[in-house]
Amino acid sequence: MSLGRFLIKRTVHGVFVVWGVVTVVFGLRFLTPGSPVNAVAPLDASQELRQRIARDLGLNKPLYEQYFDYLFSLLQGDMGYSYLRGIEASTLVLGRVPATVELAVAASFIAVVLSIPLGVIAANRRHEPADYGATLFSLVGISTPNFWLGIMLILVLSVQFGLFPTSGRPLGLYPALALLVTEGAPGGLLRWLHHIFLPAVTLGTYFTALITRLTRSGMLDELGKSYVRAARAKGLPEALVRYRHALRNTLVPIVTVVGLQLGTLIGGAVITEAVFSWPGLGSFLIRSINVRDWPLIQGSLVVIGVSFVLVNIVVDALYAYLDPQVVTE
Amino acid sequence: MPDDEALDRRSFVKLAGGAAASAALAGCGGDGEDTPEGDGGDTATDGDGGDTATDAIDETDTVEETATDRPEPEDREGYLQRANLLLHERAPWVFLNRQFSVYGQNSDLDWDARRDELIAAADIGPGDDGSVTITQGQMDSGLDPHDHRETPTDNIVTQAHDGVLNRNASGEVIEGLATEYERLEEGLVEFTLRDGVTFHNGDDLAASDVAFSVNRIVDPEVGDLESPQSDQLAGVTGAEATEDLTVEVSSDGINPIVFQEFASYCDVVQEDWITEREASEINTDMNGTGPFRVTEYESDVRVEYEAFEDYWDGEPEVTELTMNAASEASTRVSRLLADESDIVVNVPPEEVQRVQDDDTTEVEAVPSTRVIFNAMRYDAEPFSSQQFRQAMNYAIDLDSIIENVLAGFAAPTGQPTLEGFVGYNPDVGPYDHDPDTAEQLVEESGHAGADITLETPVGRYLKDLEIAQAVAEYIDDLENVSCSVEQREFESLVGELTTGNIEDKPPFYLIGWGNTTFDATQTIIPLLTTGGALTSYEEDEDVDSAIEQAQSLPGGE
Amino acid sequence: MISPRTLRNLRSELRRSALAKLGVTLVVGIFLMAVFAPVLAPHDPTDQNLNDSQLPPLGFSTTENRTTSEFVDGEVTIVEEEVTVNATAEHPLGTDSLGRDVLSRTIYGARTSLLVGVIGALLAVLVGVTYGLVAGYYSGRVDDGLMRAADVMLAFPSLVLAIALIGLWGRAAIRIPDPFVAAGITPGMPPDIVLPGTVVLVVALVNWGWFARVARGEALSLRSQEYVTAARSMGAGDAFIIRTHVFPNSVTPILVLATIQVAAIILLESALSFLGFSGATLSWGFDIAQGRQYLSSSWWIATMPGIAIVLAVVGINLVGDWLRDALDPGIEQGEGGV
Repeated sequence: MSLGRFLIKRTVHGVFVVWGVVTVVFGLRFLTPGSPVNAVAPLDASQELRQRIARDLGLNKPLYEQYFDYLFSLLQGDMGYSYLRGIEASTLVLGRVPATVELAVAASFIAVVLSIPLGVIAANRRHEPADYGATLFSLVGISTPNFWLGIMLILVLSVQFGLFPTSGRPLGLYPALALLVTEGAPGGLLRWLHHIFLPAVTLGTYFTALITRLTRSGMLDELGKSYVRAARAKGLPEALVRYRHALRNTLVPIVTVVGLQLGTLIGGAVITEAVFSWPGLGSFLIRSINVRDWPLIQGSLVVIGVSFVLVNIVVDALYAYLDPQVVTE
Repeated sequence: MPDDEALDRRSFVKLAGGAAASAALAGCGGDGEDTPEGDGGDTATDGDGGDTATDAIDETDTVEETATDRPEPEDREGYLQRANLLLHERAPWVFLNRQFSVYGQNSDLDWDARRDELIAAADIGPGDDGSVTITQGQMDSGLDPHDHRETPTDNIVTQAHDGVLNRNASGEVIEGLATEYERLEEGLVEFTLRDGVTFHNGDDLAASDVAFSVNRIVDPEVGDLESPQSDQLAGVTGAEATEDLTVEVSSDGINPIVFQEFASYCDVVQEDWITEREASEINTDMNGTGPFRVTEYESDVRVEYEAFEDYWDGEPEVTELTMNAASEASTRVSRLLADESDIVVNVPPEEVQRVQDDDTTEVEAVPSTRVIFNAMRYDAEPFSSQQFRQAMNYAIDLDSIIENVLAGFAAPTGQPTLEGFVGYNPDVGPYDHDPDTAEQLVEESGHAGADITLETPVGRYLKDLEIAQAVAEYIDDLENVSCSVEQREFESLVGELTTGNIEDKPPFYLIGWGNTTFDATQTIIPLLTTGGALTSYEEDEDVDSAIEQAQSLPGGE
Repeated sequence: MISPRTLRNLRSELRRSALAKLGVTLVVGIFLMAVFAPVLAPHDPTDQNLNDSQLPPLGFSTTENRTTSEFVDGEVTIVEEEVTVNATAEHPLGTDSLGRDVLSRTIYGARTSLLVGVIGALLAVLVGVTYGLVAGYYSGRVDDGLMRAADVMLAFPSLVLAIALIGLWGRAAIRIPDPFVAAGITPGMPPDIVLPGTVVLVVALVNWGWFARVARGEALSLRSQEYVTAARSMGAGDAFIIRTHVFPNSVTPILVLATIQVAAIILLESALSFLGFSGATLSWGFDIAQGRQYLSSSWWIATMPGIAIVLAVVGINLVGDWLRDALDPGIEQGEGGV
């Protein structure tokens, strides 16, 4: 099978999964007790008013009709109108995406930049203090609930020492960069960095710890293999053996595991956003659930599900590129 | 509290505003002066009280002894006070706290918080520069002034709109767009509008715009909107422009609180501007007559305004206004301390100290119009027993809850109506903390050994869960009752409260009720009378008839 | 299933690895703490004493300004006063905002976490393994269909799905009488253990996919083994073959995965409690959520239960490592964090 066909197959599979996601999300609403009307109607609204609202929201149509209506409008990028705000749901949902993407990318950046060197150092200095330090860090890192870590960081760095803001995202990365480019003012970007630092560390810690752990054990595995011994016997420089060969081979399984962990990244983003009032999709979803604004709940879940599937396809492609055997399996 | 009665009454008369209220006071004055505060248990110690559901006749008899000891009220105010006394005695709620609105503000600002939770930016005296930033807990749910029901949105849309009438900081009714307002006949009132008022787009205000605004709220056929505010103008059936600047508003029945309603609700919009636009446009832009004009709207992030130079009441001192939001209280306080914001709302007790400790900021607190209580369904065992309900009130140490859970930022209540409201009964205080009496009452009620569950929303009202936990623990401490807390999703709890069937409601739940009409009826009618939209307490003929009498009489106008 | 050789491996790995010893110690410690909570806790964890609220842990007594308000004549006045708060030996880890003992609450919190973790993981194993074995054993179309459905479940981040389900379905709690109180050994302690029922269901529902994947993989590789084809040609039924041949051979990887999943579920439960989506009012996550509001005044309320979670999860992860190293089931790490 060629790489192209492999990707087409994965994409078709992805479309299937997305359709499943949309269906499950739609189904959730009908497994939920209580009418969406409660979200919209005032506390003391009359039954008459409630029925009129139900009609306005299209809730009196048969279920299958509502389902196909929803599916078709979704295909056109239309997620309906927010019950509470009367604004297009897609505008609101997509408006929250940049903040979450910024957070996820910043956290991944921290994770990759820290973890791979840390794992390599630990593997290189097996049974030395550096190794124990890295092992302990990665152990605690994967075991700490990130909401608690976030709270402790706020307690120590923000409340006690006042080094970082406790929460919030006063401006996005894009306007910050625009400010830098058009006016040459780095203030916006610095402010953005200042605010995103703690949330990114909070979200990134688990991944830093996980990848450190995987890099360390992967490196140790590879270094014990015969091709490494053979390369050394041939007199290749040790650095070349370690980094060109062993590390490269270590990275292949890491990519898969990290791909599998994307759900954790998104889940972690939800809770990190809640801790730091980061105005992303996660905190938006929680609020939408609390007020039962269905078009917004459905919209955010669909966006999360779709991006998860998309990123998985990218990871598959990357994996196939790193290890062509996958394609034939 | 009895010592302060004279003062209480003065402010009370002032708030009630007008001759009828003074008459009301005279009507019920003299009596009850010697009623010991917090006692109110006369009915219970008579050993009867009985099950309201099964024993309505006995109940009425019992009440004869307390309510008819006093002379029949002479006016609306008097009947409302009687209803409040009755409700204190019959204890359909565990009376908890009146919430305070606690703000953090920049000390340079000259600003007095209002009791109705609205922040009128035009009343703010800004510091050095004319710009002011206000941070709320959340942003608007769209800018359509008639399509929402929450305070944050109110605060955002009212900066750009005016009402027909208005209120000052202490809640009195004052002129708004109307300079004169009078009752023509039983169900008909007339407003005379101010001359020379212009909308932000430069057009003049016409009486037809006011009529359109009223009708858009009360009539689903007008303005293409099912307004959730229709019951804020309860009783109002429609409006008609009779002259260029005269509007007549008609109501069902006498509608004694019609002016109170127009002082709190009904933002005036321009008819043409609204009818020419799609809903999504109306939700992202505003064209009112208010003191501020929108310059930028970023949904869910912020709204920016500039002072409206042609404002009829003079251009406001604040030249630029920004409204933004942060859902975390600590974030709001941090923004205030970092000088990123000038006024922040809802500073919780544990954050107050940070605001006070900073030299440039201070805390501003006013009693709000919201009361927190635990409703007990009158038809569900064991709450069908009046003694049991009273026992629940005696069981809790309300003062301690207020002091320790709310750090003193709340006031205790002992009747559904809040101090300063029309119909508040100054002779009725909170229940005492008296576990022995509580246990005895439970014993007498025949429900010893009852196991009850208090259902509470989480994070909806300030410290709701902690208050519920504290209440449940006090009740659980009684020898003969056990009580636990169940956390509920607010929307699903509300779903059960709003079905219109009393059987669907939980037997025992914590909820809050805001009433910005400053009139007892808007609390008692929906919550505590037969047929009320959200009632947990029905078939009490005395309460029902007191309210009915009150509603048949004109209010203080 | 568990052969003598396996036991030998486990023992020798435990002797060799200090981390495995630490893990087993932590897990046993937390387990005992959960079981004997009524005996170990100095106070009833739900007993409030509003006058002793927010007492600091031993060694942290302070004097500080406190702002409160007075309501006189319908007006609010702000009052500042200086107060001294003294730690007491009665509450070595301090008290929370309602004056409840933080130490006792931390001990009791272990019960919720372990119950949800273990029951949730067992349910997920039950559903996931059955599903995966069937899919893998029949392979082909059946496998395709079943696994795509499982993929849909896994396409949702577990926390997001859990939030959605609980937020929408409510938070039912199951009360189990506490045997110590029932037997009269510790009168005055809470009579019931409150198990957040919806949470248990939901954590199982969002996690079974992992077990399905592993079980399917094992079944796929086993179905063409000689002894399986032999059994089939002798006329053995599918259910019999799956039960007697395929399942026993996939026990090891499932055991390792289940251990890691207990840790993951504990983290998930605490996250749900933290976000207010649990329903338990006596759990580590719930206490962190409540204590979080008081970070600037009473740091200990949120700090202590957090330390407990970290120790518990570190312990379980170490036990997971130990099992994996000793049994070498050849699986990658399952989903493990929140």
